[in-house]
This record gives sequence, structure tokens and C-alpha cells, in this order.
Amino acid sequence: MRVSALVLLLVGAAVPLAAQQPKPASNPTVVLVSGPDVGHSAPDFTLAWANKDGIGPAENPYQLWRDRGKTVVLAFFPKDFTSGCTAQMQTFTDQYDTLFGSDVIVVGINADSLETHQRFAAKLGLPFRLLTDPDLKVARKYGSYDSSGRPRRTVYVVAPDGRIHYRNLKFNPMDPKDYSALGAAVREARGS
Amino acid sequence: MRTFLAGLLLLAVTPATPLAAQDAGPTVGAKAPVVQVPDLDGKPVDLGRYLGKQPVFLEWWATWCEQCEALLPRVRAARAEIGDRVAFFGINVAVNQSPERVRRFLQKTEVPYRTLYDGEGVSTRAYAAPATSYVVIVDRDGRIAYTGTGGDQDFLPALRRVATP
Repeated sequence: MRVSALVLLLVGAAVPLAAQQPKPASNPTVVLVSGPDVGHSAPDFTLAWANKDGIGPAENPYQLWRDRGKTVVLAFFPKDFTSGCTAQMQTFTDQYDTLFGSDVIVVGINADSLETHQRFAAKLGLPFRLLTDPDLKVARKYGSYDSSGRPRRTVYVVAPDGRIHYRNLKFNPMDPKDYSALGAAVREARGS
Repeated sequence: MRTFLAGLLLLAVTPATPLAAQDAGPTVGAKAPVVQVPDLDGKPVDLGRYLGKQPVFLEWWATWCEQCEALLPRVRAARAEIGDRVAFFGINVAVNQSPERVRRFLQKTEVPYRTLYDGEGVSTRAYAAPATSYVVIVDRDGRIAYTGTGGDQDFLPALRRVATP
């Protein structure tokens, strides 16, 4: 019985993402993911941060649990200064008010150093923090780990009650529909 | 049973290969997807009128994209050299800009391609365009001959090859 339940859980987790994958040219590959699904509690984590103004103090890292009661957007992205990530972060910045709103906490997460984060945030004028997940432990918790050593591009919306309200495990920084869906999810979470 | 469970769990936590290439578009040699993309006035342009009939150059770009700006002189030079042997299209992504903003940009900046505006992201999804400055070159058989991103990408050899009768 336990085995059946486990298999069901794993297969069930795989289906939504597999459905989003483009058709492979050859050799179909089974895609299985982990990470909290909608309705599940967002795993807590603590990470060092930087923003456009500098590197955050070591004694004051970002801790997800401290933002309980607020809507939080977690944006895992592969690498600072690359074209896709620049497009995404610049869009988040330019459309911050319409996508998120001043009462929403947004954090970007990848494995880059705090120094790189600070330069990237300053260049784009990011109005939110970038967190450093050097060994991608948090990315693994959120099903955002990539064997290339960089996070996959995913977004999570954590509702004020600490549960996952929305997730997109294949966020496309070039697709206007992905931004629309994210903005709608944030509005819903803020009202929940 | 333990071995089976351990294997199952390993599968669950080990990402499969395609996820590593999340941002990658279609591969060289694949058939280029045929899509319709509107121009700036909203009039649909059927790329099927060109794909498979003549070589095609596609670039996904945005007015705010620094790498696209850096790439522009190379595209201009390529268009000047290749001329009408290749159909050149610049597809604006509808992220963080509007048709009006593109029009204002075009009043100040001459671009060497026909400008399209993919308001619904149809071409972006079909080609899995990973970033602005993404270039796809398609040969006269409709197969992808080149893909690349960045302001310093060297697409000219591929463009010359597909333009050669």
C-alpha cells in the first residue's frame, strides 16, 4: 500500500511538468520533478542577499518565515547578466507595480556570488533582493535544480499563509502569457 | 523492494536531460515551425509564405534589449551583403514594451528587417526563443541552419551558406 502511494505520488508529480516540455526530437525522456505543489507549505530557507545598494549584512540573511503574512514571489533564474535573465529581471523591474505591488516581497535566486548579484541589481536598478544559493540546496527543495549547475527558471507565489499559491516550473522570460499568469496569481494571493 | 524504492526516489530527485536545456530552442536541422505573427498594425504575416521557399533570417528583439542594439550593426551589414536573397524578419517580443514604443523606436532607428510584433507570444513559444537577440536562420528547405543569442554572435557564415543557390 505504501509503495503504491509513493509511486502514485511520484508519477503524479511528473505529469504536469512533462506536459509542458517541448516534443523531443528523439529518444523520449521521462521527466520527474520534485518541489512543493500548489497548496503545500513553502519550505523555509535562509540565504544571504544583495540588492542594488550593496550586500546585505551576514547577520541579517533573508529568511522566508519572516515574511509570513505577506505574499512572496520566489524567482529562480539561471545566471546574472545573461540575456534571458536580463529580460526577465528588467521586466520585473519595469512592471513591478502592475505585476506585484509595493506590499509584495520578490526575491530572485541563483548560485551567483553576492558581488555579482550586487552589480547585476545595480545595473538594472532592481527594486528587490537577489539571494545566493551557492550549492543550490534551496533550488533542489523547490524542484528548480538543473544538472548544469544553474537553477532552472521557475517562479513560485507564496500566499500570506505560507502555502504555495501558484508555480510555473518552466517560466519563459519571453512569453507575455507567463507574466500575465504570474501577475494574476499574485493578485489572487494578495486577496486570499 | 528497498532497491526499487531507492531507484524510484533517485529518479524523482534527478532532473532529466531536457530540463538542463530549458532555455534552448529548436535544434539545427529541425524543421522551422510555421507560424503567423502580426505586424505592427496587427495584420497577420504568415511565415509559411517564406519558410521552405527561400532562406529566412529571424531575430527576436526588443527596444530595451542592449544585446539587440549591439547586434544591429552586424545585421545591417549582413542585409547589405545578402540583400533580398534572404527574407529578414525582426520579431518584437511583447514583453515590457508596446507597439507604440516600437514605432517610436523605429522613427529614430533604421532596422534592416521587416518588423513584426508577437503580441501573443506565438512565435516565442513555437521557437522556444530563450532571450532577446535570439537569431534563427532557416535554409531554403525550411530547416534550421543556425541558432544563437548575444550581441557578438557570428551568424554571417551560416547566412552566406543558406543564401548560396
